[in-house]
Amino acid sequence: MQSEKQKHIRNFSIIAHIDHGKSTLADRILEYTNAVSKREMEDQILDNMDLERERGITIKSRAVKLDYTDKNGEQYTLNLIDTPGHVDFNYEVSRSLNACDGALLVVDSTQGIEAQTLANAYLAVDADLEIVPVINKIDLPSADVEKVRAEIEDVIGIPADGCPAVSAKTGLNIGDVLDKIISDIPAPGGEEDAPLKALIFDSYYDSYLGVVVYVRVMDGRLKPGQRIKLMNSGAEFDVVDVGTMEPLGLAKCDELSAGMVGYITASIKFIGDTRVGDTVTLVDNPTSEPCPGFKQALPMVYSGIYPADGARYNDLREALEKLQLNDAALWFEPETSIALGFGFRCGFLGLLHMEIIEERLEREFNLDLITTAPSVIYKIKKRNGETVRIDNPSNYPSADEIEVAYEPMVKGNIITPTEYVGGLMDLCQDRRGVFIDMKYIDTERVELHYDLPLNEIIYDFFDALKSRSKGYASLDYELSDYRESKLVKLDFMLNGETVDALSFIVHEEKAYARARKIAEKLKENIPRQLFEIPIQAAVGSRIIARETVKAMRKDVLAKCYGGDITRKKKLLEKQKEGKKKMRQLGSVQVSPEAFMAVLKMDDEN
Amino acid sequence: MKKQKKPLGLYIHIPFCLKKCAYCDFYSCTGADPDLVHHYISSCMLQMEDISESCRGYEIDTVYIGGGTPTTLPIKEFERLLSAVERNFKLSRYAEITTEVNPATADKKYLKALHKLGVNRLSIGFQSANISELELLGRIHTVEDFANMYKDARAAGFDNISVDLMYGIPAQSVQSFQSTLEYVCNMNPEHLSLYCLKIEEGTPFYEMQNTLELPGEDAEYDMYMWAVDYLKKRGYDRYEISNFAKPGLESRHNLKYWNADEYIGIGTAAHSYFGGERYSVIKNIYDFIDGIEIPETNMRLIEGSKTLSFRERMSEYVMLRMRLDAGVNAEDFAELFGTDFHAFCGKHLDEYVKDGFVIRQGGNYRFSSKGMFVSNYILSTVLDFAPGNSFA
Repeated sequence: MQSEKQKHIRNFSIIAHIDHGKSTLADRILEYTNAVSKREMEDQILDNMDLERERGITIKSRAVKLDYTDKNGEQYTLNLIDTPGHVDFNYEVSRSLNACDGALLVVDSTQGIEAQTLANAYLAVDADLEIVPVINKIDLPSADVEKVRAEIEDVIGIPADGCPAVSAKTGLNIGDVLDKIISDIPAPGGEEDAPLKALIFDSYYDSYLGVVVYVRVMDGRLKPGQRIKLMNSGAEFDVVDVGTMEPLGLAKCDELSAGMVGYITASIKFIGDTRVGDTVTLVDNPTSEPCPGFKQALPMVYSGIYPADGARYNDLREALEKLQLNDAALWFEPETSIALGFGFRCGFLGLLHMEIIEERLEREFNLDLITTAPSVIYKIKKRNGETVRIDNPSNYPSADEIEVAYEPMVKGNIITPTEYVGGLMDLCQDRRGVFIDMKYIDTERVELHYDLPLNEIIYDFFDALKSRSKGYASLDYELSDYRESKLVKLDFMLNGETVDALSFIVHEEKAYARARKIAEKLKENIPRQLFEIPIQAAVGSRIIARETVKAMRKDVLAKCYGGDITRKKKLLEKQKEGKKKMRQLGSVQVSPEAFMAVLKMDDEN
Repeated sequence: MKKQKKPLGLYIHIPFCLKKCAYCDFYSCTGADPDLVHHYISSCMLQMEDISESCRGYEIDTVYIGGGTPTTLPIKEFERLLSAVERNFKLSRYAEITTEVNPATADKKYLKALHKLGVNRLSIGFQSANISELELLGRIHTVEDFANMYKDARAAGFDNISVDLMYGIPAQSVQSFQSTLEYVCNMNPEHLSLYCLKIEEGTPFYEMQNTLELPGEDAEYDMYMWAVDYLKKRGYDRYEISNFAKPGLESRHNLKYWNADEYIGIGTAAHSYFGGERYSVIKNIYDFIDGIEIPETNMRLIEGSKTLSFRERMSEYVMLRMRLDAGVNAEDFAELFGTDFHAFCGKHLDEYVKDGFVIRQGGNYRFSSKGMFVSNYILSTVLDFAPGNSFA
């Protein structure tokens, strides 16, 4: 039995494929409910990281409470819970959705359903949400509302007749969306007098308040002074404050009861203690069952991150620590490379997560980085019976110690216009993909399913996919399982010395091609030095590719007269500066740029 | 007894060309009308007048008129310029007075007049004895033009002639370079400069560098090594990385640059090193003229003025002297700077001795031929110009 209070609450998310207008719609809803005046409206208030705004994707969830009076004069509390819009953050998305009772599924009327539209819709179905389709961008000349309506019904299998068709950009028909939220999305349930059960769907670190934890209360009541326990981590805290997320800041209140969305502060120091998906209950009167589906968000992709200037190691450590305050999924530990000196082994949820962290380190902390090739976690069963997890090629056992090697696989789902199917199937084939099936969405678009090794995706699969489909294909994937695989470790030697930072693990069949390609790139990017430098690629003790950087023969300013000495001096000084940045690998000097060029893979690798 | 001040060099920049060569980034303009030329020379004369006061007590023993193309000047402008030099400075009786000359710009009469004005050394910009190479470089003269002018110059009385040649020209083969050298050696000039083509920003070659078939560093190395050897046989000693002369006929003016001696630059874009300070004149003919004539804009005339720290002076000395075959002598260095050369830089140069890049004989350090050809690499490792390290 819902209380009167609950009947006037709606908890919902907006889900969409990237660039289909999720954030713009959120902005219009905020405006429509007078949550923020136009003047206060900083475009896309929910995505408040610069990087998010630039990339048009939400990296972290955010939530906001809106007051809305419908056309009958009834007053409602709407909790809009934003979700990250990328496959790397699937787990966070699913937790955010679990805090809701319904979701707006935004579909671009000029693009139709894309891979992430589907992935997100399935997550919403899994979370038992009422899905309200919203067809967006109807102001554009190429909009085809009826076609997209049909697509939603055929492909996702939810009724789309009479769903709102809007332009979030111009604000057209936003009222219809609000009406649908009230009429279609169910009010929350939950027993206010039952033992406390609240789901953590987000948290962030604030230097004054400590960790601010966002929760959806499922049952019971949450008040200041209560002793709470996080059921999965086991950590206990005393609640300092509870409140709601108003559009322009946090607002304290007396209690949060079943059905409500709000925040808790409890002098929590480490964000790692408040994992997304964990359940908050009372120490005195605990609930019997935690909210289902808790997982520790585990890194899937690892890479070494080093400061280009070795002297900035401590700056890098501090920067990583700061980022980790708000990103429990970021993992790192110190690592030493003979080639690159002191740095960190970092673990990320996926490639995008990695890129975001790298970009934030460079942009917000002004660091120049060298990052090693991304790696996945391999599982190795050794002959001595031991099984090890390898996230760093340096720790890869030698071939004679290995009995079986396993690599992680993903289920990949690609949606593409039919004309690119051939090229994309070649791509998947080339990346050791195993074809599962192919479904026609309509006469023009196809959904492809492949099993793919994760290590083939983490290099440049997205870029290759985009370039082979002129940007039209979309991809979604989820980790499935580990499979036995023939893997080898590929090492590179300069002047006879192994450069540990360049080693990586690769499928046996690909070793030769990769080795040749990288040896060539090394040759192109290592500047000639006073002596000849042999480049060798090796699997174990077997050399499988070689190149030579010839000795430098000319580095001279032939003409030095007319009295312009400063020019020569500047030239030498510039050269000197360049040398200071060089990494000394044994007797060979390599610039950070050369490392980056070699580590950056392109489509042809 | 008061020590005699070391004589100065005087450089005068003539920024006029009939046509700009595709590789050249020296400051010059084309199509200047006679009034502008006249005006410019007047400004140079005024600049000499301004400077003369501070040069009192110094003798000028080398004058170098460079460009641009100095021989685009009408002979009467040349005369005004040189008379101003004599009027404003104490010019040595034995001064070396050089002008650069383009083979297409000076006839018999002109050369005779130059000689009469006191010019006693010519530097002829020939570049190549291969006509297609000349065309590609954007030169306005032919091989015959050069031959004729050379003959005329001898007839006019010039007994000290230098010829500029270039290697590393797009599509140039080692053989082609060799025939150019042979051709020029057979004419028996006193001095040769061999410059490797360098693609400079802001030149037509820079824009088209991807389409140029440059011979590449290995071929350039072969050309250079061959030239050093060949010219030795023909009686020319390499005394600087790119310069070769019969004994005693080195360019005295250019040696001032490499010995870190002082010189004064006149005209737009000209560089000076005087009183321990390096500076240059603004690189724009109109700004230069205004700067000279209008007192209010006088401030803008001089650019990049910089007094060298003690450490910079030492580093520059090494940088410049190491261009010379003579290299650096530790005793000379100690006398000049009161500093131990081995500790300052010699110990780093020692590391390049075993692989034959540097030759050390006692306290004398110099580059071998192959060392000269990678001298930037080595000098940028062993020298540090950072001004913070001054211990003056």
